[in-house]
Amino acid sequence: MTDNHNNRINPRRPFKGTASGLNRIVLTTAPRLNEAPHAKPIRNSQKNNAEQASILVISHSDRGMLDDHARQTVSAAAILANEATNITVVALILGDLRENIASCGADKVIVMPEFSFEKFQPDLELANITAVIERLNPIKILMPDNFIGDGDLGRRLIASQHTKTAATHVIEIDSLHAASPHAAGRKIAFTELPHIILLAADAADTNLPFIGSATIQPTIQSSTQVENTNNQQKSVSPYQNLGLKTIASEQVALEEADLIVSAGNGVSNVETFERLALALDAAIGASRVAVDDGKFSRDKQIGASGKTVTASTYIAIGISGAVQHLQGIKDCRHVIAINRDNSAPIVKRADLSIIGDAEAIMQALINAVAEAKSLSLQEAACACYLLLR
Amino acid sequence: MCMLSIATLVSAGLHPVSGEPRHCRNDSLAMTLGLQLAESIGAEIKVLHAGDENNPALPNYLALNAKKIDVISVASGANIVDSLATNLANTELILTGTRAEDGEDSGLLPYLLAAKLNIPLVANALAIKPIENGIEILQFLPKGKRRSVTVKLPAVVVVHPLAPIELRFAFAQQVSGQIVAHTAQNQSKTSSSKQIQWQIQAAINKPKKLKAQENKSGHERMLAYIASENKGGAVVNEGSSVEKAQVILSYLREHHLINF
Ligand SMILES: Cc1cc2nc3c(=O)[nH]c(=O)nc-3n(C[C@H](O)[C@H](O)[C@H](O)COP(=O)(O)OP(=O)(O)OC[C@H]3O[C@@H](n4cnc5c(N)ncnc54)[C@H](O)[C@@H]3O)c2cc1C
Repeated sequence: MTDNHNNRINPRRPFKGTASGLNRIVLTTAPRLNEAPHAKPIRNSQKNNAEQASILVISHSDRGMLDDHARQTVSAAAILANEATNITVVALILGDLRENIASCGADKVIVMPEFSFEKFQPDLELANITAVIERLNPIKILMPDNFIGDGDLGRRLIASQHTKTAATHVIEIDSLHAASPHAAGRKIAFTELPHIILLAADAADTNLPFIGSATIQPTIQSSTQVENTNNQQKSVSPYQNLGLKTIASEQVALEEADLIVSAGNGVSNVETFERLALALDAAIGASRVAVDDGKFSRDKQIGASGKTVTASTYIAIGISGAVQHLQGIKDCRHVIAINRDNSAPIVKRADLSIIGDAEAIMQALINAVAEAKSLSLQEAACACYLLLR
Repeated sequence: MCMLSIATLVSAGLHPVSGEPRHCRNDSLAMTLGLQLAESIGAEIKVLHAGDENNPALPNYLALNAKKIDVISVASGANIVDSLATNLANTELILTGTRAEDGEDSGLLPYLLAAKLNIPLVANALAIKPIENGIEILQFLPKGKRRSVTVKLPAVVVVHPLAPIELRFAFAQQVSGQIVAHTAQNQSKTSSSKQIQWQIQAAINKPKKLKAQENKSGHERMLAYIASENKGGAVVNEGSSVEKAQVILSYLREHHLINF
């Protein structure tokens, strides 16, 4: 009630007479910028607790979180579910999950932490998701069509489910249709919304007017299932993992790098900056001004007229955050800014902003990293020693 | 090391700008990888195309050093998975590209084939090395990660577009190579898997994003628009440089972005 009262516009506010009648002047209070956004309502999905139709989203997590592509896929499912009543959105997450995914509209969450994307075990994964699908009998299945295992697993699922319609690399979706590129992207092919949908990146918006309830479902059933198949398949699985390796950051293309430190006009000492990159094993990027100054080569430039990067972590040092620069980092998940001006535009974009002199903070960070590394080395050595004794 | 039998599947591609028929780049990578592998271990290799033997794209593969291309003639619209499966039943290693360029581009064919033949499949391969009873594959993962896995044979391997392979064209090879047509033994008009009806249009408009419907008043929408400018994360103003460095380090640790 009080809330309503505050939002009410005075009906007797001043007016101007114009040819078309009275033109009331809106003199409400200016929007309060620091006001916390209204909490979004939970989408009303549980009308009754009886058997409910569901849309299933299957995705791998990356270090305990869903990446943007996976979040878009969950949101797409939530938007489709919202148009009908009585449909729940179930998210089946392969790999561990340490964040709450209610904001992208998941109602129920099943986590199978043993299936990290880093390990190649498609036969076991397929057996387990098939078991979940049989149990839930979802009306639609959505997966992100990506390279961290879901594109692969999704196609295996499609090949194993002969009776169900499917579409891959779906770039446009609504409640009735799906569309995929055809003939190398020169044409577009529409179809009725199929049963299994592998969604391309950026096909759905993650901004929802509601949230899901995101209750974590117990996974007893699934883990016993895993053990069963494990026992059966240990000897017969045709696949074997020999391990994962990460290419040294200097050799990775900037577009592919996972951790980037980037220098702008506020970095005076390039040598310290390069030592920091080495300490963090990060790839090096730069703003246009830093490149124009000759501090870095042109291929390091990030932004509208440079490269677009998708690193999970982007550390912007002495970069003001001009729109042209921000365009290049729109897909970065964690942005950390070091800047001496707390009103620089980068501060609005960054998840963490450290206000202070770049040189001093870089020096301190190099020391802190060295210390942390030696500590974890000591710990490892200790553990080794204890094991050997 | 026993003699391997290798087959690589090639499809007709389209030039991305002119739309002229030509080789499909992804399939050419897979074929070249197969030819190199076959040469290094002295294996037998077959280059296979299902479709029309007069397709003007096929001579491109000859120029890329396929000595001979076997074409299984299937009518357009017939199910090629079944005909390929009958042809490949005794092949130990089947190589394909990641996505075709002409038709559906769905990237499903190798998966349907592996399911039909009931053999394992490894996707995103960058390199292949024969080992004791199987092959070792270097797989592409995003963010500069690579993974090594082994798989027992027979198997289907899908080669990733970033595989470090150089394509070399030679007109002399295109002239000396041959294309041999075979009739398909097992032609079924009815596809084994579900058929989808596609409606195909020229891709003129940008695809529309799926967005949630919001019924807000104009005033609310304007407020949301102005207020959304005001996002941003934690800001640390106070403290010494050492403390600030610790804040960064703990942020990186908390989100598992570093491993020390
Ligand atoms: C058509 C066009 C295309 C462009 N394309 C790109 C592009 O692709 N990429 C790109 O980056 N730019 C691009 N720009 C330029 C862009 O508009 C900005 O000018 C540029 O990004 C600014 O770079 P900067 O942040 O390094 O420098 P500045 O704007 O000078 O910012 C320096 C920042 O460092 C801080 N600082 C200074 N000293 C210190 C210190 N000692 N310690 C801590 N902080 C300090 C300051 O507070 C300031 O915020 C383009 C511009 C145009 C017109």
